[in-house]
Amino acid sequence: MFERRLYYHIDWALLIALLALCALGVAMVFSATAGSASTSRMYVTQLYAIAIGLGAMVVTLTIDYRAFTDKSHLIYLGLLAALLYVIFLGDVQMGARRWIPIGSFNLQPSEFAKVGVALVLAKFFGENRGTPNWGDLALAGGLTCLPLALIAKEPDLGTAVTLVPVFLAVAYLAGMQMRILGFLFAACIVAAPLAWQFALKDYQKTRISTFLDPSQDAKGAGYQQIQARITVGSGGIQGKGFRQGTQGQLRFLPVAHNDFIFSVLAEEQGFAGVIVALGLYLFVILRALESARLAKDRLGSYLVLGVLASFTFQVVYNITMSAGLAPVKGLTLPLMSYGGSSMIATLAGFGLVLNVRMRRFTN
Amino acid sequence: MAMIEDRRRLGIRLAVLQYMITVLFAALAASFWLLQVVQHDKFKEMAENNHQRTLPLRAPRGVVFDRDGKVLVENRHSFGISIVREHTRDLDRTVRLLSEVLGMEESRIREIVDRHRREPSYRPIPIVQDATLAQVAAVTARRLDSELPDVVVEPVPTRRYPGTMAAHLFGYVGEVNDAQLSDGEGLKSGDVVGQAGIEKVHNAVLMGEDGARRVVVNSVGREIRTLEQEEPIEGKRVQLTIDADIQRSVEDAFKATPFNGAAVILDPRDGDVLAFASLPAYDPNAFAAGIDRTTWNQLNTDVLRPLNDRAIQGTYSPGSTFKMAVGLAGLEEGVISPETTVYCPGHANFYGRNFKCWKRGGHGAVNLSRAIEQSCNVYFYTVGNQLGVDKINKWATALGLGVKSGIDLPNERQGLVPSTEWKRERLKEKWYAGETISVSIGQGQVSVTPVSMAVYAATLANGGKRVTPHLLKAVDEGQGWKPIPPPPPEPVIDISADKMEAIRDGMWRVVNAGGTGGRARIANRDVAGKTGTAQRISNQGRLAAGRTSVNLRDHGWFVFFAPRENPTIAGVVFAEHGIHGGNAVRIARHVLDTHFAKQDGLPLPPPPTDLQLDMSDAFASPVESPH
Repeated sequence: MFERRLYYHIDWALLIALLALCALGVAMVFSATAGSASTSRMYVTQLYAIAIGLGAMVVTLTIDYRAFTDKSHLIYLGLLAALLYVIFLGDVQMGARRWIPIGSFNLQPSEFAKVGVALVLAKFFGENRGTPNWGDLALAGGLTCLPLALIAKEPDLGTAVTLVPVFLAVAYLAGMQMRILGFLFAACIVAAPLAWQFALKDYQKTRISTFLDPSQDAKGAGYQQIQARITVGSGGIQGKGFRQGTQGQLRFLPVAHNDFIFSVLAEEQGFAGVIVALGLYLFVILRALESARLAKDRLGSYLVLGVLASFTFQVVYNITMSAGLAPVKGLTLPLMSYGGSSMIATLAGFGLVLNVRMRRFTN
Repeated sequence: MAMIEDRRRLGIRLAVLQYMITVLFAALAASFWLLQVVQHDKFKEMAENNHQRTLPLRAPRGVVFDRDGKVLVENRHSFGISIVREHTRDLDRTVRLLSEVLGMEESRIREIVDRHRREPSYRPIPIVQDATLAQVAAVTARRLDSELPDVVVEPVPTRRYPGTMAAHLFGYVGEVNDAQLSDGEGLKSGDVVGQAGIEKVHNAVLMGEDGARRVVVNSVGREIRTLEQEEPIEGKRVQLTIDADIQRSVEDAFKATPFNGAAVILDPRDGDVLAFASLPAYDPNAFAAGIDRTTWNQLNTDVLRPLNDRAIQGTYSPGSTFKMAVGLAGLEEGVISPETTVYCPGHANFYGRNFKCWKRGGHGAVNLSRAIEQSCNVYFYTVGNQLGVDKINKWATALGLGVKSGIDLPNERQGLVPSTEWKRERLKEKWYAGETISVSIGQGQVSVTPVSMAVYAATLANGGKRVTPHLLKAVDEGQGWKPIPPPPPEPVIDISADKMEAIRDGMWRVVNAGGTGGRARIANRDVAGKTGTAQRISNQGRLAAGRTSVNLRDHGWFVFFAPRENPTIAGVVFAEHGIHGGNAVRIARHVLDTHFAKQDGLPLPPPPTDLQLDMSDAFASPVESPH
């Protein structure tokens, strides 16, 4: 199954960049959590997650991606089943049902939904020739919205929203006409006030309104945002040093090891560390785009872009948020934030990216 | 064809994505540059404000000792509870919670907070200055629950006074007020400074220097570690001239009577104040940790005026105790000699008006010392009339009357010995010679403070050296006790000691012969003294007001020194509404007993229980209620 010569076509540069980001993440998770006895072992858990993720990557890398897309409808159905299971029988943590307990691990199916949707959309558009018409788009949209609705129901609006870029990116690459894109964009603008009125919960509205003016609730919802800005800004050029950050170490920054891991990096490693991390992420994204361009078939391009879309969206949004420049939302930073499911799913996704590039010469 | 077409479009669209993402990341990098480099200073300061706090370390005030090294005023550990608004998330909530936890009224806390509203928000606003253990425990528990991150509990050294003992002498401490802030150097809002007594006068010596502790706190206000600590410097230790045993004997003796009043006991050799009392007293401990309004209002509205320091602020008519001053003036001005006699028939006529002696039958022929012993009015009418008021004024001033004593206590009032100049300036009137007659026996406009009477007694005792009473004996500036030299005596006028002998002899006879001071007679101690009665109101007036009104009773005086040769103690006892000078003598007796017992190393006499006071109020026979 795994032909020896494929080994030479593995994109080592991308893989090294990914591992560098993982290592940076582990270091920051350690810094943010080692101070407290109850969390001091988190970095070990994170290392396990990376190991498992690399195992998953080997699997997604070894098997020809076309085999995955061929079976994508089964994967997709499996995911829907898992999401349904979570909604009815999942573990409740912090007011949401998001997890399936497996031993000491908690599996979060929504993280895997991103890869699943990327697979199914790649297959869908890959099989379709020519410019997708309204019917195609509606069908693909439906395929995206089904898991999206289930995830939103958990509720986990943040993760649910990351599926939207997957659809848009793949559809865009598949040749969706720009005016349709423009139309969808306009529709969103029209829908926003309606969503505000009917769909959003109060806490979600507060998050958005305090983002626009954090000082209106400086000690409540705006607190995290102000603290994030202070954390980042006080880091300066050089940073305060490893484990020397005051904002993260003294818990002025909430969920530092998770949503705000990048703020911890900015505080302790300064602008220098920020540039390194931003550079690594940019390299990963551009390198993956390169894979999409080099892919042997459209299916491969779409798959790469599908995986990349949710990743890029999450990276950009989380980093913006960790500088206090976007509303606070429970979106983690892929590869760096603490979290097993996200790590495994992300590495598995990049396994597919490597897979496509590696097999660009095979038939 | 379509395949190639597809590829081309795909390449273009991917390139678009590439550019978009690159621009996006450039924008992110620029944002971080803005936050971390351009605005770094601002955020750095905000981060420091977040996690660093400066907590004051209160310096204890200097411990106060008596002349024998006994501790009089010390400090105890107590806890203060304050709000630091800098760390407040919701002031209303804090106030509400705190009122619940402390059992205080919300409006009261709000009032305190409002009073300090203009101060910088990092400065703690003291809500409770001497918290009970229950309050400390309750607040600490809430802090551990992170409910009150903006409330600090800090150890505060608080003054501990020996009850009401020498209350007016020690004074009290309190939070610095606006007036003191504007003219005191180095004082800052929230400081505790002396507000009365030696605490006020010697505040600069007694007050320490607060230290500070800079600590790191976490997001819920819990202290993580100390960054730096500047130790507080304790106020200097102070030794007073006060003798705690004598002080106690004065207060014990007063307690055995129904009288209020004052007493000032001096060492006549140098003006050391051995005891200083004003009664009724207050408890300075009530002020030590911030007085509550109820107690403060009570103290202020009390008709007995406990906050009033009678010893330096009360001015009273000296009555017969003034006669020594008139006698000395007569001798010094050559109007009389010790042998000069005056015949007392029981009354005398001056300027067409009849002035009575207190003894209806008269004293017959009396010389100066007998006149003092018998307190003969006619003798002093005669001498005073020959002297004129200005010469009386001159010699009374030389003895310390009608002027401030200069004691190191705040707000001393000045008594009055009238003169023609005084009357011209103050009342724009000419002095009538007839007025001098009343002045000659310490009545009329003459008024004195108890402390000036003590100086008077000491000057008579030491043969004419007008000492300045003072309270500071030594200060410890870190290298052991450094004695404070007594202030030099007032060099107003030279008084010849030999001329004073007749007067001192008269005072000795008051106690040891047939005078009114017999109760102070102690074998071989040669106590000398003079009683006096200060009329509160004319006898006619008193009859009109009702005989039994305690408030209108006469005051009793006793000025004394002992022993007659080389005296070691001099002073005055003033018994407010004490009816007779003799009652003041009974109080002084216990003080003298204590003094001599201590001098001889004998056990001190126990507090008196029955002083056998003379409570007969014989005002009905007008002039014959003497001294």
